[in-house]
Amino acid sequence: MTNVELNRRAFLRAGGDAMKTSFIALSFPAVLTACGRAEQARLLGEDFTSLSADEAREYDAIAARIIPSDGTPGAREAGAVYFIDNVISDAFEGEKQQLRSGLEDLQAKTASLYGKTQFADLTPVQQDNLLTQSEGTDFFATIRFLVIAAMFSLPEYGGNKDKVGWQLIGFEDRHAWTQPYGFYDSEYLEKGE
Amino acid sequence: MAQQQPSVTYPTREAVDFVIVGSGAAGGVMAKELSVAGFSVVVLEQGPHLKASDFKHDEWSYDHNGGLIWGSKQGHPQTFRKAEDQTARPAEAALGYAHNVGGSSVHFSGNFWRFRPIDFIEASVRGTISGTNFADWPITYQELEPYYTKVDWEVGVSGLQGPWDPPRTRDYPCEPMPIKGSDVLLERAAKKLGLNPYPAPVAILSQPHNGRPACIHCGFCNGFGCEVNAKSSSMATMIPLALASGRCELRTGCTASRVSTRPDGKADEVVYWNAEGEEHAQRAKAVVLCANGAETPRLLLLSASAQHPQGLGNSSGFVGQNLMFNGYTSVVGLFPEPVNAHKSIPATRVIHDFYELDRTLGFYGGGGIDGRHYARGTPLNSALMSGMFGGPKWGADYKRSLEQEFTHTAAFDGHTTSLPLATNTVTLDPKLKDKWGRPALRCTYMDHPDDLATMKFFFDKTNELMEAAGAIRQAGSYPENGQEGNVHLLGTCRMGNDPANSVIDKYHRSHDVPNLFICDGSSLVTSGRGQPTMTIMALAFRAADHLIQSARRGEI
Repeated sequence: MTNVELNRRAFLRAGGDAMKTSFIALSFPAVLTACGRAEQARLLGEDFTSLSADEAREYDAIAARIIPSDGTPGAREAGAVYFIDNVISDAFEGEKQQLRSGLEDLQAKTASLYGKTQFADLTPVQQDNLLTQSEGTDFFATIRFLVIAAMFSLPEYGGNKDKVGWQLIGFEDRHAWTQPYGFYDSEYLEKGE
Repeated sequence: MAQQQPSVTYPTREAVDFVIVGSGAAGGVMAKELSVAGFSVVVLEQGPHLKASDFKHDEWSYDHNGGLIWGSKQGHPQTFRKAEDQTARPAEAALGYAHNVGGSSVHFSGNFWRFRPIDFIEASVRGTISGTNFADWPITYQELEPYYTKVDWEVGVSGLQGPWDPPRTRDYPCEPMPIKGSDVLLERAAKKLGLNPYPAPVAILSQPHNGRPACIHCGFCNGFGCEVNAKSSSMATMIPLALASGRCELRTGCTASRVSTRPDGKADEVVYWNAEGEEHAQRAKAVVLCANGAETPRLLLLSASAQHPQGLGNSSGFVGQNLMFNGYTSVVGLFPEPVNAHKSIPATRVIHDFYELDRTLGFYGGGGIDGRHYARGTPLNSALMSGMFGGPKWGADYKRSLEQEFTHTAAFDGHTTSLPLATNTVTLDPKLKDKWGRPALRCTYMDHPDDLATMKFFFDKTNELMEAAGAIRQAGSYPENGQEGNVHLLGTCRMGNDPANSVIDKYHRSHDVPNLFICDGSSLVTSGRGQPTMTIMALAFRAADHLIQSARRGEI
């Protein structure tokens, strides 16, 4: 297999996996109505709507491994857990149940491998090890999708606090641009080709 | 531009001249042409009348919550299967289209390639292809050219005549859009390979035109409504003129359920549910369906009666058949310097050197190539795809990918032909129902082997271009196992001279029902090279012209 072929397969996975296996992604009845509430909760440090304090602590710990805080803000600083709370509060009961049992499975592995009840109490290396083992599960795909969505959606949905997600990728929240947009068109304007 | 909207309301039990179902690319043009020409018009539109001020840079709402393209959450489930012997499974928006005034012309990319003379006569020039319904159009490029020019000027297109472009009677009204870094890379690579890149024609204004402002290059075109009305959607261009005529009533939140016919077989009224769920019926002298290549055939199939047992206007059996999606391919390259392809419009250069592939390749096909951002330039979609060069999908190294891929990549995309096949269809799902209790749309689709070979050709060609552009790394894909959905919904009520193998005549009149007209993506006989909306609008201007003449002669 050529490099292009290998890369193409990686690309196919990249484009599809999060959306296709995330069981929650396509079925939020009314996230829009809830969005202001989640941002307010995050700003005021209010209670979560749907998650218990323990669940929130666990999701926050998972989020912090999916996009870690290493030198620049990660999912924790973005307030991803508030976004997740927001989305879960509007999910269907069956989906909530799937998430709960997914978390319980993770905690069961936490106990059997490391003798602790809470994923959040593990070391980062232990956490990464457990998440690597969970990579193929719908639970992991769903949480990964929600953490990324939290990081890069409008802050009013509860995550992306201070637009830290957008800063990470170099997206500036502006409505108007003029040339040059980047290096190559700048060069083109100078040289005429 | 007309801002005032004199409100006109018509009683449902008195026949208006025309009732139009759908207000998208074709319906908007129809509404404007017919009402400005002096006819009474009612437009039924399922969705709301959103305006520029309603649109936001809100990926979560639009892309992940079905804000514009409704799905099962909004009560509009669909099903998909690859072949007739399979049971279709639920699929979100396999047949993708927006539910709002202006239809998908509101959130599309605005690539406005004209079809070329060859597109209308390719079957006779090249020969028919066995096992397909590949055929000539009943009209030629020359017959459609004046209407392409009408679209250029009345709707608003920016561009510059290219080396391969078909003849035009008038220049573009607006100069081409400024080049982006992704297209600088494409242009340089193309020239290295001896190809002829040139400015992409787009339905986005580079300068003020017809009272609308120029684009501000915000980057949120594809998937989003334009916040400044620089995108030439029918919502921004045609609907305001229709409403200003004082003869067009736009009824939003109204979902057509069937077209009823009189004992003499002519269409009588369109039955619909209003926003409150109440059933009404609008009488009309003529019915014009512009509901798109999925909804139009469903409405005809649901309008079956004793007189029209296979569905209205379906004596040929061609209603819902010959669905064509167009093929696509995409290759992404990583570059050492910031490209920032997320800024400004999707594409500013095209390569049309491969419009018709060499016959010696042994398969039929053709298409065009343009430069873009790999995920439409939006943060969340981009992040979901990050790590595309083989990197991990979470953790510290994923974060490193995030830091460079959004800004330092360019994508070269191929847009290609689809052959019309009897087996690629829009039909009624036998089990699943939508919120109104109607059978859900069922899509059956598998790309023809020639269509897949064409995609492979364009995939390889764009990989070559990416290498020539100097990409450090590259990755890409095309649907090698067949597409499972698309937003181009073409060919399902095709036009033709022979009532045995077409649904409408060359003037868009149903062969079976003399006062029923159909104009939208379903009218297309062949797929073109991947950018159909310009042609859909041109067809609508032409159809309206003939409709007006017929009505004035009393021939409706």
